[in-house]
Amino acid sequence: MKVKVNDVELDLAPGTSAIDAVFAAGYDVPYFCSQEYMSPIGACRMCLAVVGAPRKERDGSWTMDEATGQPKIFYFPNPMATCTTAIMEGMVIDTLSDVTKKAQGGMMEMHLINHPLDCPTCDKGGACELQDRAYEYGSGHSRFIFDKRHNEKHHALSELITLDRERCIHCKRCVRYFEEVPGDEVLDFIERGGHTFIGTVEEGLPSNFSGNITDICPVGALLDTTSRFRGRNWEYDHTRSTSLDDASGSAITIDARTGRIERIKAALNTQVNKNWIDDGTRFGHEYAASSDRIKTPMLRKNGKLEPVTWEEATLFISEKLKKLSDNQLGIALRSDATLEEGVAAKSLAEYLKTGQIDHYPRYASSVISANPASFNDLATAGAIFVMADATEEVPMVDLRIKDALKGVTPPTLMAHGVPIADLRLKERMPRKTNILSVAAPYRVDLMKYAAHSMVYPTGTEVEVLKQIIDASTDAGKALKESLSAAEKAVIVLGAFVLNSAEASKLADDLAKATGAKVMKLGAMANSFGLESQDVLPAKADYSYPNMLSGSAKALIVSGLNPAQNAEVAQALLKLELLVVHDLFENETTALAHVVLPAKSGYEKEGTVVNLEGRYLNVNPAPVDGGQAVDFTGFVKELGDALNERLEGRSVRSARRLLKKSLELDLSELPLEGTIASAKAGKVAGLKTNTSGNALLVPSMVRSEYLNRNAHLFASTGGNALRLHPADAASHNLSAHDVISVSVGGFKRRLSVQPSESVPEGMMLLPALPDQPVGLVQLDLNSIKKEQVALEVA
Amino acid sequence: MVELETLKPFFAERQDVLNEILGRYPDYGRRSAVMPLLWEVQREERQVNEARIHEIAEILGIQPTEVKGVMSFYSTYHEHAIGKYHLQICSTLACSLAGSDEMYDFISEETGLVNGETDRQGLFSIQKVECLGSCTTAPVLQVNDTYYERVGKSRCQTLLEAFRRGEMPEPWRERYGDNEGAEKAKPLQNTIKTGGNA
Amino acid sequence: MSDAVAEKPKAITSRHDPRFEVTLYKYIGVENSHTLEFYQSHGGYESAKKAITSMKPVDVVEEMKKSGIRGRGGAGFPTGLKWSFMPPVDGRQRYIVCNADESEPGSCKDRYVLEDDPHQLIEGMIIAGYAISATKGVLYIRGEYYLGYERLYKAIQDAKAAGLLGKNLFGTDFEYEIILHRGAGAYICGEESALMNSFEGFRANPRLKPPFPAQAGVYSLPTTVNNVTSLASAVHIIGKGADWFSGMGTDDSKGFHHVQVSGPAKRRGVYEVPMGISYREIIFDLAGGPTEEVKAFIPGGSSCPMFPFTDQYLDMPMEYASVAKAGSMLGTGGIMLIPQNKCMVDALYNVVRFYAHESCGKCTPCREGVSTWLPSMYKKMLAGLGEKGDLELLEDVSSNIRGRSFCPLADACIMPVQASIKHFRPEYEYIIEHGKSMYPRQSRWAD
Ligand SMILES: Cc1cc2nc3c(=O)[nH]c(=O)nc-3n(C[C@H](O)[C@H](O)[C@H](O)COP(=O)(O)O)c2cc1C
Ligand code: SF4
Ligand code: FES
Repeated sequence: MKVKVNDVELDLAPGTSAIDAVFAAGYDVPYFCSQEYMSPIGACRMCLAVVGAPRKERDGSWTMDEATGQPKIFYFPNPMATCTTAIMEGMVIDTLSDVTKKAQGGMMEMHLINHPLDCPTCDKGGACELQDRAYEYGSGHSRFIFDKRHNEKHHALSELITLDRERCIHCKRCVRYFEEVPGDEVLDFIERGGHTFIGTVEEGLPSNFSGNITDICPVGALLDTTSRFRGRNWEYDHTRSTSLDDASGSAITIDARTGRIERIKAALNTQVNKNWIDDGTRFGHEYAASSDRIKTPMLRKNGKLEPVTWEEATLFISEKLKKLSDNQLGIALRSDATLEEGVAAKSLAEYLKTGQIDHYPRYASSVISANPASFNDLATAGAIFVMADATEEVPMVDLRIKDALKGVTPPTLMAHGVPIADLRLKERMPRKTNILSVAAPYRVDLMKYAAHSMVYPTGTEVEVLKQIIDASTDAGKALKESLSAAEKAVIVLGAFVLNSAEASKLADDLAKATGAKVMKLGAMANSFGLESQDVLPAKADYSYPNMLSGSAKALIVSGLNPAQNAEVAQALLKLELLVVHDLFENETTALAHVVLPAKSGYEKEGTVVNLEGRYLNVNPAPVDGGQAVDFTGFVKELGDALNERLEGRSVRSARRLLKKSLELDLSELPLEGTIASAKAGKVAGLKTNTSGNALLVPSMVRSEYLNRNAHLFASTGGNALRLHPADAASHNLSAHDVISVSVGGFKRRLSVQPSESVPEGMMLLPALPDQPVGLVQLDLNSIKKEQVALEVA
Repeated sequence: MVELETLKPFFAERQDVLNEILGRYPDYGRRSAVMPLLWEVQREERQVNEARIHEIAEILGIQPTEVKGVMSFYSTYHEHAIGKYHLQICSTLACSLAGSDEMYDFISEETGLVNGETDRQGLFSIQKVECLGSCTTAPVLQVNDTYYERVGKSRCQTLLEAFRRGEMPEPWRERYGDNEGAEKAKPLQNTIKTGGNA
Repeated sequence: MSDAVAEKPKAITSRHDPRFEVTLYKYIGVENSHTLEFYQSHGGYESAKKAITSMKPVDVVEEMKKSGIRGRGGAGFPTGLKWSFMPPVDGRQRYIVCNADESEPGSCKDRYVLEDDPHQLIEGMIIAGYAISATKGVLYIRGEYYLGYERLYKAIQDAKAAGLLGKNLFGTDFEYEIILHRGAGAYICGEESALMNSFEGFRANPRLKPPFPAQAGVYSLPTTVNNVTSLASAVHIIGKGADWFSGMGTDDSKGFHHVQVSGPAKRRGVYEVPMGISYREIIFDLAGGPTEEVKAFIPGGSSCPMFPFTDQYLDMPMEYASVAKAGSMLGTGGIMLIPQNKCMVDALYNVVRFYAHESCGKCTPCREGVSTWLPSMYKKMLAGLGEKGDLELLEDVSSNIRGRSFCPLADACIMPVQASIKHFRPEYEYIIEHGKSMYPRQSRWAD
């Protein structure tokens, strides 16, 4: 469709909004209520412009302008909100005329009359859309001499988000966001007219994606409480990176100031997370700035860990290593280690001639699917079957499924990027809940949005899948048929399935039988990458759990804390060498001979492969980590001590190696990453419990760091033990009791949360890297109440 | 405020009312019942407190925040209890031209209340409201659900006294025009004056 | 109807015309007129029966088109044309919505129909439902009209019991039911899309158009929205024929309308009048003239710009085109007289305050301009704190609001403001210069 914006002629797709036409033409128009990926509503009235279009005569020909001989342009009597106006053939948009300017200036003035002049103390200052637009389109002085509207300035919407009601300009982005994106209507306008304000009667904004409203609020009304008053926007270093919190590979911006991380924001990756991240990712960064980080290498001398130089530490290690024979050393990385770290670990293992190398946590089967689904496949699927607690495992899967429920395909990018006003999106769109089926051993969040859901007895994944494949039950048959019938079907598999080789196999069969693509939710950020690079034991006996129970004589662990298990701790005492590379002192460092300072996921440089098989760069924020290094750095230091230039001794060196095998230059990845095909690794089976009275479940809030994430801790109440209210009663537990308890040999500190979504007879608690998803025995006799919940009379 | 003592669910003993209300709307329009449910509570309890908001949300399968957003939009649902006699004085132009401002002052003085207040006994509350759709019989005083039209000063006084005695006088309808019965509204023959401002 | 083209009789444009007869309002105010028994014994439900048993839906729509009736809810959109906008029947549920939210200051014509003649409205809704193939009607009545609500509730029950609502109406397979829904005090719910949001249980913000109600209305289903007297008129248009209806009024505006005279008039009330009648006849002859000196009148509810009380405007025929040409609107027919000694600035403050109170808050010009800034400016002037430049500021801010808002509510506020400045500028200038009104406040309360 041909349109003209001022003097620029364009040819755009029908359905494009006039505001996007303006931006596509390289002109500007101010706006506040419109927001990428959300419905245009025409509320702020900033984007007004003079708009006209030609008309057709009855016979279909254009009404001509006699003077010019061209089709006559009929202008709308009033300036139009360009965000809600669809382009028409021959439309003329004028953003430069006096009428347009007066309309925009007048609207700017009205936006400001009740807005407090507290920019100097506002966190948004310098990054505020209102401020910017006021400079560009405002008059510079105020004609409003009255008292401004007064309202609450420090209203805690939740433990994580603070609302300043005076600053709100009523753009409704936040309200629409909750309804349109996660589908949790937990925030709304209250009252009406000039008294309208944002509010909630839900305690603590119960949504897993609440933090995104702090990104999209165009003013400083909604602020991330973890970073409030901690710095001005221009003082922050903004680093675009990839989140290592889960396998989604979501893009984030790390804002750091004077060597510490102050906040995490969502960054745009149109293919992955769009503009959004979950609350675990956003608010779960405080641990990285914790004052008890290990800052230097430490060596145990006379039973005590003492700070030493890297040289001294690595010299000590190399001496010990030299005494080992082949296959006596174990090396284990946590599954969010970068590809480069994986390469470094492998090259070290190769050099030291050991087959005992592994990444952990991982599952009994591969996370690399033969027919992998991308996020966009998921978002455009016509049938989705989720056998996982997707919201907790990889929250972005939950959000992108909700895209599919709306049935609007991802927008085509324009010259200026994501369309600002996608006219296909509407408020309160009907959701096609019918396309979604969810099965899990307890009630999971996503079931609220699914027409078909099933809570099956824990550990019966195989039976459930058989029912579907054999179409032996009505529900199973219906599901299989809908997966087969849909043009695009996606099966999402999480830990409960992947933990069982047999169930995984059946799920793959189901995919084959129905033509569905499969999305496997890796345990951690780089599960896919580390498996694809074969950071795996040479044989099953060399897997990480085996290393801990005696197959290794010496052990290098990075990011893992096996000694939480009392039995394992005993076994570790027998090691000739225990090297721990980590952020904090813990049960394992207490036994270690050498402790090395590690980098957090915000400080590393490297690459991860998300669950789609997408290679994404992780970029380091300027954070003060003392002498911390990632695993490549450790390999370099150790190589120096061993007098060997090991491959993978730096990110660059690892990438050189990877370039050969992958035919991909990891230092030149596009922002949205690159999908490359990958084959499943030779995943040696892991033993999993088939019985137990408790289930370790995935959690978007990383339980290993929760104690150091003060705000998240406050909002979640700590790691929870969820159990059916009847069970709680019979175990004499009440809500908010804080208990310590032995779970599968791990001492866990948990807060009791009775919940109807847990089946009777089962207890749920969050998994840990060293205690991954699966069944476990909770020793009821070991329960000690540390703190009894306050009884409200 | 959430009450500390546990409130009995409002609709628990009014299942028939609840079912009747839900039954008015099609299945796909269950949410439409939010206003009638709020009305039901408001009429009975003279307010809709937070516990009721949660209850209605639960019934309709929506979020309490949404119920609150809807409720607060309207001027006749109240967060705090109104009086047994809720005196609503129309203050829009037609009523104002017929003396409703003075009526408000009078009532305010008589009851010792200002706009939005409820007295301690819970007898009276007063609210200035906008056009009640009774412009031709201004000024109007709406008491609970009843319109008192063409309320002059002495009638206003009489009404207040009656309320104090616990009585609710029958409203009468004093009208001109076709709304009084068409027969009476014949044009006044030959009375047309010329000229606007004499 | 005969084929011979008889000479067209002169249209009725005056209540003095002996051919004019009060029709829609005939039984308003008559005792027991709200009962089914009364209604049926006075010819009730005959039109619906006629339509359903002897006409095709398209014929009903055609008849409405032919009558020339335009919507009586304020916007004056041709009713028959609106009905013909409904998409082809495709199996989806369709709705007819009756807008009985009547809250425009100066209007009260619907209320008496709701209270005194509910069956007439029900019959009108049945006819409309039949015409657009909607088997469900929604009757949205403003919350304050409790008497009307009770009577409608009963009337619907009675009609159901008598087989006039429900399945197999008049022995045909047409079925129809009415959902009665009460508002709760919000003028914006009169705006049709806000009304639909309110009915569906959402906050009553107006919706984006397109889609229009015919494409996606109530519950996103095809819907037509009409005012109470538009629908009630259908009873008589079908009963007596389109020609009877179009025999009243002028070429531009057909039929009758209901004017509501308020303010200082001797016989304030609602009058059924033929279109084209002069305002003078309404104000002086029907309403008995002013009881005190009057300087202006509002022709159609508070959102319609006022006219000075002069011959030029009083002798103007009440028809859409003439009133529009003179700079105002027919609106709902709420005629309000403004006395000479009422300060115009004060009067407009009252109007502005109304819209400020009723703004839904969705869009900026209405929330900040209408709901916040304008009333502040008026308050300032009325408090005697006006300064040089205030009037120009008021005019400029008004021009920044007008035509910029999401829905017409803001314009409904600005238009009377601008008209008052146009016609009564000296009063504004006076209050700003002297710090007090040209006409000090005085008690207007009768004993
Ligand atoms: C702010 C606003 C308030 C309105 N209030 C009413 C009302 O109270 N009653 C009414 O019938 N129409 C009202 N309308 C007009 C309706 O939107 C709609 O046009 C009308 O109900 C259509 O019916 P009709 O075609 O029969 O007139 C209002 C419009 C606006 C913009
Ligand atoms: S709080 Fe922010 S995002 Fe929400 S409506 Fe106000 S300005 Fe918009
Ligand atoms: S009206 Fe807000 S962006 Fe167009």
